[in-house]
Amino acid sequence: MTMTKTVWPLVRQQLGDKGKIEVLVGIPTFNNAKTVGPVVNAVKAGISKVCPHASVLVVNADAGSQDGTPETIKQAVGPDIPAAFVQHLAGDFLPSPISLHTFSESGVPGREHAFRAFFTVAEELQVNACVVVDANLRSLAPDWMEILLRPVMEKSVDYVAPLFRRARYEGSLTNCIIYPLSRALYGKQMRYQSGCGYGFSGKLASLYLTKNVWEGEGTRYGIDSWLTTVAVAEGCEVSQGYLGTKIHDATLPGIELSVLLAQAVGALFYLMETYQDVWEGKTGSSPVPRFGPPYEPGPEGGAINVERMVRGFQQGLRDLLPIWEIILAPETLDGILSLGLVETEEFRFPLALWVQTIYDFALAYHEKALHREHLLKSLTPLYLGRTASLILETREGAPEDVERAIETLCGTFESMKPYLTQRWRFS
Amino acid sequence: MSILWQEAMLEAFRETTLRIAHVLPKLLALLTFLALGLAIGWLVKFFFLRVLRAVHFDVLCERFGLGSSLAKAGTKQLASHLVGRLSFWLVFLLFAFMGIDALDLTATANMMSAIIGFLPHMLAAVLLLFFGVLLANFIAEAALIATVNAQIQEARTIATFIRWGVLIFTVAMVLTQLGIAKEIVVAAFSITFGGFVLALAIAVGLGGQSIAKEVLEQRFRRRTVEQDEMSHI
Repeated sequence: MTMTKTVWPLVRQQLGDKGKIEVLVGIPTFNNAKTVGPVVNAVKAGISKVCPHASVLVVNADAGSQDGTPETIKQAVGPDIPAAFVQHLAGDFLPSPISLHTFSESGVPGREHAFRAFFTVAEELQVNACVVVDANLRSLAPDWMEILLRPVMEKSVDYVAPLFRRARYEGSLTNCIIYPLSRALYGKQMRYQSGCGYGFSGKLASLYLTKNVWEGEGTRYGIDSWLTTVAVAEGCEVSQGYLGTKIHDATLPGIELSVLLAQAVGALFYLMETYQDVWEGKTGSSPVPRFGPPYEPGPEGGAINVERMVRGFQQGLRDLLPIWEIILAPETLDGILSLGLVETEEFRFPLALWVQTIYDFALAYHEKALHREHLLKSLTPLYLGRTASLILETREGAPEDVERAIETLCGTFESMKPYLTQRWRFS
Repeated sequence: MSILWQEAMLEAFRETTLRIAHVLPKLLALLTFLALGLAIGWLVKFFFLRVLRAVHFDVLCERFGLGSSLAKAGTKQLASHLVGRLSFWLVFLLFAFMGIDALDLTATANMMSAIIGFLPHMLAAVLLLFFGVLLANFIAEAALIATVNAQIQEARTIATFIRWGVLIFTVAMVLTQLGIAKEIVVAAFSITFGGFVLALAIAVGLGGQSIAKEVLEQRFRRRTVEQDEMSHI
């Protein structure tokens, strides 16, 4: 029996007859007893300001906490708001082992199955809006509901993605690959930051359930990697919300960069196959509405070892050349080879070459030129090279220079899109 | 005298004719089997090529690094063509042996039954070799990428060791499957593998104790020093 069939009877049994539910709050958890209480309180306070008369349901999908997380939620929610509890990694909901390997900053294993449970309940109850927040957040304030919920409730927005204030070079993977590539593909200027909090319309929640991302190859990539892409590609009303600085309890040990990269970039490449008809004809890009008080570019971050990044690139060039020869076009490879002899301070990865590299990887993924996980992970040294180049180009300048560099990169991705589309058609 | 000569001549002629009459159908059978072998072998080859092309076998082999292994071994042909040729020669040889068996020669009396008895071992060995090479390439490639991403300078050496380790293990299994010097292969493999592990353990445990300690310390210290305070996602 699939999760969509088993989760609803369980929730209905706990819910009884509560009439029409307008807002569903989903909280995926795994041993978050320390932080989940304040999270629930902030959500309650926020909802009472945004829509005081709306009927609300809190759904907790727990991955088998041992510290009494569901009980803490029950206590924090109180008797006035109905709450339902499901264990998304137990019994009938047990996902395939592959999906358990997906990375999530929230530290909740099988996080996508928690989302699937929320969307299933949202569809059954025909809710107007659905908000999902992580339980390990320390920076969640009642204002978040104003940003995540109000646009959905009052402005017919289908999707509100989070936008955080980050240090100068934070989110480099998003800024160097995910954001510019998605923007060039789907024509929407979404920053593709992910995790912590989302707002969905009931319509979008139902739409997600129909997509082929819950089983098979789709489960290899964490849900945060594809929520935004699906919403944008499906032509939904998308927006972003300024949520301030993200502070959360790290519940996972450091994830290897290549695994992170494979999941985030893999999700994008995977969905390029599904949405080929959507992105092929798109040119240029348009901004999306942003809610909440905007903020200046982030401050200086921690120490970054650029030399180590350049060394990583150079080692990749030395050892992974036979693999890159399969993936990259000869002219791209020639350009990359010429970067091998440059000293760290002079190291620059030209934008056009970087865009060509990413497009070549997308094409090789499409053609299945190599085992897909190997292909994605072999991109890591090149990504390190590009990140090092970005830092070297902008570290003497103002924080705004990084934003300008990202904007220029996005423009290059958009202007060079024909390179991808022409080759894609003949591959 | 002339009667005796006549009888001897007739007898010799009759016997030769009888022998020819006895051998000729067998020769014809041999030729028929050879012709059938050629025709059916070609059909089987054609069938395999079509099926393998339909399932994108060459792309699959390329993805698992078999194409580059074949190139390194000096073969410029596609993997599907190799399988096609192999299937042709297998079928042709099978029919050729049937033809030889039809000759009913004393020297080849038990050849057919011996060959048919050996065929399953042969097929298993070919399959073992095929998957062994695929596995060796796949694991070596995964190890190379992982070690490069971890910025381990000896990445290529580690990957080469892994590839050859799996290949040697595969060859030992293939030879055991074929029953070629079974005991020697098992003993040689056990001695080599066991000896290698023991040597490594002794080298690290005794001779290289301080070096191992230094390397581990350097690695962990370097990790803590070199890790960036930067979130990539």
